This record gives sequence, C-alpha cells and structure tokens, in this order.
Amino acid sequence: MRLTDLPRTTSFRLSVLFLALFGVSSAVFFGFLYWQATTYLNSSVDQWIQRDSATYLTAPAEIVQRLQTHAERDLGAWRPFGLFDASGRYIAGNLSALPNRPVAFGRYFEYKLERNGKEAPFRGVGYRMANGDILILSYNVNEIYGFKHLLLDAMAWGGVLVFGVGIAGAIITGLGAVRQINGITGAVERIVTGNLKERLPTRRGAGDLDRLVYLVNGMLDDIERLMREVKGVTDDIAHDLRTPLTRLLGGLERARRRPTSSEEYAHAVDEAIAETKAVLGTFSALLRIAEVEDGARRAGFQRIDLGMIAADVVEFHAPVAEERGVQLSFDTDAPSLTQMSGDPSLMFEAISNLVDNAIKFSPTGGCVAVRTFFYKGRIGVAVSDNGPGIPPEEREAVLRRFHRLERSRHTPGSGLGLSLVAAVAKLHGLSLTIDSSYPGSCVTLERDAPSQVMPPPAPASPAAAGEQPKPEAHAA
Amino acid sequence: MTRVLVVEDDAQTAAEIAAALGDHGFEVECAATGQDALDRAVADRYSAIVLDRMLPGGIDGLTVLSTLRGLSVDAPVLILSALSAVDERVRGLRAGGDDYLTKPFESLELTARIEVLLRRRAVPDRQTMLRVGDLEVDLLKREVKRGGRIIELLPREYRLLEYLMHHPGQVITRTMLFEEVWSYRYDQRTNVIDVHMGKLRRKLDEGGLPSMIHTVRGSGYILRAPD
Repeated sequence: MRLTDLPRTTSFRLSVLFLALFGVSSAVFFGFLYWQATTYLNSSVDQWIQRDSATYLTAPAEIVQRLQTHAERDLGAWRPFGLFDASGRYIAGNLSALPNRPVAFGRYFEYKLERNGKEAPFRGVGYRMANGDILILSYNVNEIYGFKHLLLDAMAWGGVLVFGVGIAGAIITGLGAVRQINGITGAVERIVTGNLKERLPTRRGAGDLDRLVYLVNGMLDDIERLMREVKGVTDDIAHDLRTPLTRLLGGLERARRRPTSSEEYAHAVDEAIAETKAVLGTFSALLRIAEVEDGARRAGFQRIDLGMIAADVVEFHAPVAEERGVQLSFDTDAPSLTQMSGDPSLMFEAISNLVDNAIKFSPTGGCVAVRTFFYKGRIGVAVSDNGPGIPPEEREAVLRRFHRLERSRHTPGSGLGLSLVAAVAKLHGLSLTIDSSYPGSCVTLERDAPSQVMPPPAPASPAAAGEQPKPEAHAA
Repeated sequence: MTRVLVVEDDAQTAAEIAAALGDHGFEVECAATGQDALDRAVADRYSAIVLDRMLPGGIDGLTVLSTLRGLSVDAPVLILSALSAVDERVRGLRAGGDDYLTKPFESLELTARIEVLLRRRAVPDRQTMLRVGDLEVDLLKREVKRGGRIIELLPREYRLLEYLMHHPGQVITRTMLFEEVWSYRYDQRTNVIDVHMGKLRRKLDEGGLPSMIHTVRGSGYILRAPD
C-alpha cells in the first residue's frame, strides 16, 4: 500500500467527512450570525434617519433653512444631508452632489463618498418633495463596515485554520492506518508463503483494527497448533503402522523362503492375520476418533446417566481387575442426579478406556476408584488410581493421538485410548482434567449440570436404552 | 439348502461375502442394484438378505428394505453400511432391518450374525427351559444346572450363558456378546469379554467336567454339548 492509497483509507475518509460536516455547519452558523448582526445594525441606522427625515418632511417651507443649520453643526460631515432640484442640481445641505447610483425614493441604499481622500461607506434614503425637489438624508456607516469586515476576516481565518488542521489530522490518522495495514498485509503475505510462526503486528491500544488483529492472531495460534498436530499425527501414523507392517512382511517372507510343514505355514498365516487385524484396528480407532471429533454422532444423543454407565463399566472390568490383583471400586454421591444427554456407547467406551488404562498401569494390590458426582452444579465422573501417574508436563500430550509415555512403551496399547476419551468428552461438552492423586493420577470428566428439570430416571437398564435409542431432544 | 441374497454394488465385496457365506454352506445369489434386489426378493423366497445401505441407481438400501417389508417379504435382513453413527443404525432397524453391521467387518462376524438371524426366525422364543447336553437353564427361575448340580452365576454370567444357550452350536462373536449382554455398541478391542467367558467356563466345568464353551479362533465362542 502506497501513499497514493491514503485517500482510500477509512480513517482518512472519515476525517475528511467530519471536516466537511463541521465546515458546512460552522459556515451556516457564522452566516446566520453575520446576517443577524448586520440587519440589526442597519435597522438602528435606518431608525435614526427616519427620525431626522421627520424634521424636514413636516416643514417643506423651512427645509433650506434647516439644512443650513444642520450643515453648520455637522462639521465632520458624518451625516451628509442635501436638497437637489428635479434635475439634480444642488440647492442646500452638506451633501454637494447626488449619490453616484440611482436612487429609489423611500428605499434605503448604500453608497460611497470621497472623504479625506478615502472612500467611506454611507447609508441613506431619498425623498421627492411636493415641488419635485429631491431630499437625500444619509449616515456614515464606517463602523458597521468595519465590524462586518472583522466578522468576515475572523470567519475566513478560522476556516483556513480548521481546514488546515483537519486535513493534517486526516493525513496523520490515515498514514497511521496505512502503516498498520501495510504491516498486516506484509505479515499475511509472509504467512501465506508458509511462515506460520509470523503474527500480525500489534499496537498498544484497543482500536477496532487492533481487536481484529488480536482475534486473527489467536486464530493463527490455533492453526499453527493444528498444523503441528496434523504433522505429528502423520509422523506417528507412519511410525506406528510401519512397525507392524514390517513385522508382517518379515513373517511372510520367512514363511515363503523356507519350505516348511503345513503347521508352520498355518502359524505364519495366523500371525499375519493377527498383525493385519492390529493395523486395521488402529485404522478404525483413528477413523472413530475423527468421526467423534466431527460431532456427527451427536445426532444419536439421548438421555444418559453417567452413574449408571460408570457402574456398568466397573462391572464390565471387575473380573480383569480381580485377575490382576487390583481393587476396583465404584462410588456415587448422587445416584440418578448425574443425567445428561449423550451417546451411551461412546460414554461407556470413554470411561472404559480410562478404567482400562488405570487397571493396566496400577501395580498389583493397587486401587482404582470410579466416582460419579453432582457437586456445586457440576456433574461428572472421576477415575483415579495409585499407579505411577502422569507427569504434569505430559498431561496435555497424552491426549494426542499415538502419544505414549516412555515407560509405557512395553505395555500393549495403541496410544489412541485417551485421544478417544478427549474427543468423546469434547462432543459431550465435558472438560477433561488430569490431576495427581498421590500417588497416581485422577482423570475427571465434568460439565455443568443440564439446567432443565430432569424427568424421573428411566427404570429400564441402560441395556434397553442402548438397544432402542429414543430420539429425544437433548439438553443444550 | 438355505438361500441368501447378497445385495452389494461393489463386485469384489460381493464376491467376498458370497465366498464367506458359501464356505458356511449357504447358497448365495447376488444383486448389484436396488431394482435387481427387489425383483429377485419378490420373485423368490430367500432365508436371509444381506443388504448394502448405499446402492447405485436411485433405489438405496433403505428403500429396498421398506418396499420389501411393504410387500410382506419377511426374510431377516442384515444391513451393511459404512456409516456407523447411532442414528443411521436406528434408521436401518426402523426401516425393518434385523441387524446392522458396519464396514469393514470380518467374515466370521457376518456369518455368525446371519446364523443367529436365521435361528431367531426358526425357533419361537417361548421356551422356559434351555438344554444343551447335561447343561440346563431354567429361564423362569433363572437357575443353571449341570448334571443336576446347581451352578451359582453372577447376573452378567447368567446372561452370557443364556445367550449362548439360545444359539447352541453357533459361533457367537465377542462383539455380538457385548451388544447382547452389555447393550453397548462398539468394537471391543480389549480382552475383558474373554475374562468374563473364562470365569463362566470355569464355573460350568467345575469338578473336571468336559468343557462346553469353546473358543473359535479369531473372535468368537461356541457352546456345544461335550462329545
């Protein structure tokens, strides 16, 4: 953007517009003032003339006599009066010649007279006497003229000043805008060419443009994070799928190379099937997470009870916990108060993933506690264990796809479980927090309790609800 | 001979399904369009229909299904779909489907479900006593006996056994058990169900009795009277 673009900036245009509006309104105001003042001054002069004219018009016989008396008194000729015959020849008075402009009788007019080598303004009126003579009465209005000029000068200079300052202001603000826009377009161009680290320049201040800039910068932060995540996920997928595929290939090649018994062939085929299933499983888990993140599953929402689902999850995992020597407990302080709208299967899967993880990482003799709660208008479910816990700096990372803690590399799992939990939580408006519960960790999913009044909980088991989901309007 | 109509537009998928069902002893016919499927299903009696949800040519799977139901063709229908959303499933079942399977699936899963569908139609569900070998389940008293000896089961174990007893000699996959007994629907990838089954099996076989629940390699179980 160049300087020639200045008139196109909004701030410049606005400044000029306001300048014009201000100019027009002050011109109207001053014009009115000027008109009022001059009208008032002229009318007071006219009244004086009116009063004087009475002296002469009421006594036509003594008119010459009176004009001479007036001429003697009015030495400075401030009030030039004169009597002329019908052809305009001077008869009497201190006005020696008819005014240098046509005279309409009975009407006030203004004219100039040579006085002390200078033209001076006069205001007067002419009368035609009964005998055809012409009587002119006039007053010097030099002071009124002076006042009028002062007023006009003040207006002119004020106008010039306002215009100058206004234009200068418009240019300054316009240039500021041009500079900011230049900065922004430059930054955007750099971002478009691939430098995602770039941010729009910010200024101190809270102008509308600055607010927009802050918003866009926030958006860019998100985009950068997403790009980084996508890249991370791509790398992870490549890495996590390469390993089983390499194993698969190795096994098949081995079976092909060495002619062996049919049992060994069958074994190789079984191994290949198992590896392929694992790869397919990873893919379907990824697709599932994507599907849940899309929010497409929200259409199947129905009323669910977190407590009931959590109890089912605990019951489901109980034999496994028993087998591993882990004590698995379920507790709720608010039976049937933990209702919300959601997808029962997804919620079961999410809580099940948490419980599965907790059992997997708990030492023998450890405890895993599942608790649903209704507390201070918040409902939720918490799964805590006394396993090794998740270090604080890893708590965000474990929600990413394929992320696995270094020490858990040797345990089975795809590293997708918590990603799915996070996606399900987001779909249900639940916040996911990972805390320490010395020792071990505590994962909490919670949200504000739905505000609408709950109908009495369905007596049917969630089993029936899961089989025949009723499409009921879900709470916002 | 049990005849199954497979309605699937993708020739390769259709061939795979036909092969899997053929291996299982079904006679399989294929239709690639909705119109073809309607013509065949109305003209002929099939024991079961495998119906793809998405079909080319204007008549999609659900339309075929509701038309067939309208014409009182009551063969059990298993819907196949790439759409796994809950409401898709509900819509499929509302249109008259008997089961819903999301692609991709394993052939074992498909054949096991077809078997169960056929069986469900064949046997009226009014029995109060189920018997397989020396194992009997009293549905009214919810009592399990083997060789006259009462076996104490947890409620969930009872339901697992009841489901298996309804389908003796048939492969029941883990996913089917999970859906039927726990009533949540998703692809269980943990071994939790195996642990439940292990406990049930131990209780049934207590005292050195021959095992009745057998693991099918891959992903299922089968309940059989010991030879």
